[in-house]
Amino acid sequence: MDSHAPPLRTRDSIPAKAGVGLRFRHHQEVLEARPAAAWFEVHTENYLGGGSAPACLDAIRRDYPVSLHGTGLSLGSAEGLDPAHLARVRELVKRAEPGLVSEHLSFSVAAGNYLADLLPLPLTEEALGIVCRNVAQVQDHLNRRILVENPSTYLQFRHSIIPEWEFLAQVAKRTGCGILCDVNNIYVSACNHGWRASAYLAALPPEAVGEIHLAGHSLRRLDDARTLLIDDHGSRVAPEVWALYAEALALFGRVPTLIEWDTDVPPMAVLLEEAAHAAALIDEAESENGHALAA
Amino acid sequence: MKTATPSLLELQCAMRASLVVHDDRGISAHVVDAGMSPAERLDVYRSTFASVLTKALRLSYPAVHRLVAAEFFEGAARIFIEAHPPKSACLDDYGEKFADFLSDFEPAASLAYLPEVTRLEWAVNRVLHAPDVEPLDPRRLAALAEAERARVSFVPHPSVSFLRVDHPADLIWRAVLEEDDDALSAIDPGAGPALLLVQRLATGVEVRRMSESAWRISAALFAGWPLAAALDEAPNTEASALLADHLAAGRFIDFSLNDTSGNFP
Repeated sequence: MDSHAPPLRTRDSIPAKAGVGLRFRHHQEVLEARPAAAWFEVHTENYLGGGSAPACLDAIRRDYPVSLHGTGLSLGSAEGLDPAHLARVRELVKRAEPGLVSEHLSFSVAAGNYLADLLPLPLTEEALGIVCRNVAQVQDHLNRRILVENPSTYLQFRHSIIPEWEFLAQVAKRTGCGILCDVNNIYVSACNHGWRASAYLAALPPEAVGEIHLAGHSLRRLDDARTLLIDDHGSRVAPEVWALYAEALALFGRVPTLIEWDTDVPPMAVLLEEAAHAAALIDEAESENGHALAA
Repeated sequence: MKTATPSLLELQCAMRASLVVHDDRGISAHVVDAGMSPAERLDVYRSTFASVLTKALRLSYPAVHRLVAAEFFEGAARIFIEAHPPKSACLDDYGEKFADFLSDFEPAASLAYLPEVTRLEWAVNRVLHAPDVEPLDPRRLAALAEAERARVSFVPHPSVSFLRVDHPADLIWRAVLEEDDDALSAIDPGAGPALLLVQRLATGVEVRRMSESAWRISAALFAGWPLAAALDEAPNTEASALLADHLAAGRFIDFSLNDTSGNFP
């Protein structure tokens, strides 16, 4: 494949570079100052209506590759997907023509209520079948492949029998979806549940990994000196997560990587600094392992 | 204690009960408690549920938030969220019943105008996020014969609404958002109702007061009344200018022809 793609191609696909999660606070700055970000990712659910937000996205989309990252499809819901929500996501995908579309390995809808978080699934054969059915429905409806992201979790269910990395690999294998490997989430969940983060990474099918997420987390101190890591996207990427990211790049090759920051969003310059750090690590990674899932 | 393995649907409904009404009975037994109790673990998700939805309400109701101050708002929001959890993952759509809730909310009873400001903010929120739709080309209307035009029913643009509020809710809303304390203290909260046009412009949302006659004609047109019947709603002095203004501002997206031009429905 020609690595010097024409401009239109670059606009449409997400490059294997470090991008930045775009939040409302930076809309105007991006439109006016055109910061040197390789690409932007936005939260799908913030752009499902009309008015200024999607208009802004249209304008940003003319100059940058854009990825849509959803939090509301609830791929793990036993009651199935909300057809109205899926239809709205499809409209936005048509309008924005994103380079990537992603969602989460979790549920957020139960008994018709949106529970406003990415909730953990019991990792059972039943849940695997349901997630695969829902992912397949989304991919059919959008007529494109999606990426599914590993969640950060604070609890596990007693009846879970499939390790999360195997569950995710099975979803990718059975549905043909890609994996959005959130390295910070792996680190957070590994610390919270006593998993080995490196082994998690090594168990993922490298050819399925189409994007990596990086973010900050915080340490919550409980009584009795116990601690819990919280994936709050409110700080710089932790040194341990950078180290794990280097391992991920060694395993997966050059992969589009995103800096996420959602709590107390800092100036764009800080996000670009974090992205530059990721870019330096991408450049160090072996380029011959590279693959373009975005195609 | 041995517990039967729940189906995924049962587990997810139990999780809903845990997050929305803080009832952990259906879920606790299924959660691994190594090092932390199920309740402590569930608290992490409960806290996100409450804070995300409280923030969504705060973003939709900024004037209400300022009027009652943060602590009161958060307390009211927690109770509202438990009674009315969202039905859609699109949180711009969340909070429609907040005005009704506040009108029955005993601690807010002394602020009679609060539910009206809340209704206005909901209308503003709806207009702000309404779908982008091409407005009606006025030439399509001009192409009709006179008799046909009387039978026209318009389809309103979703980014426009007409609202009648008791109390000067619009003045309160504007003064609060502009942090204009002088204007706020000059308002008589007991002053009569206001008839409002709420619309999205390229620059933001405009809330404009209308005369009684203009509002009545407009409300009838936007409810789908045939043009002739709508114009009968009020003395016809400014009617054609009003219609021209609606058309020029793109407040309709389409029309259909009724069988009759008479009263509707």
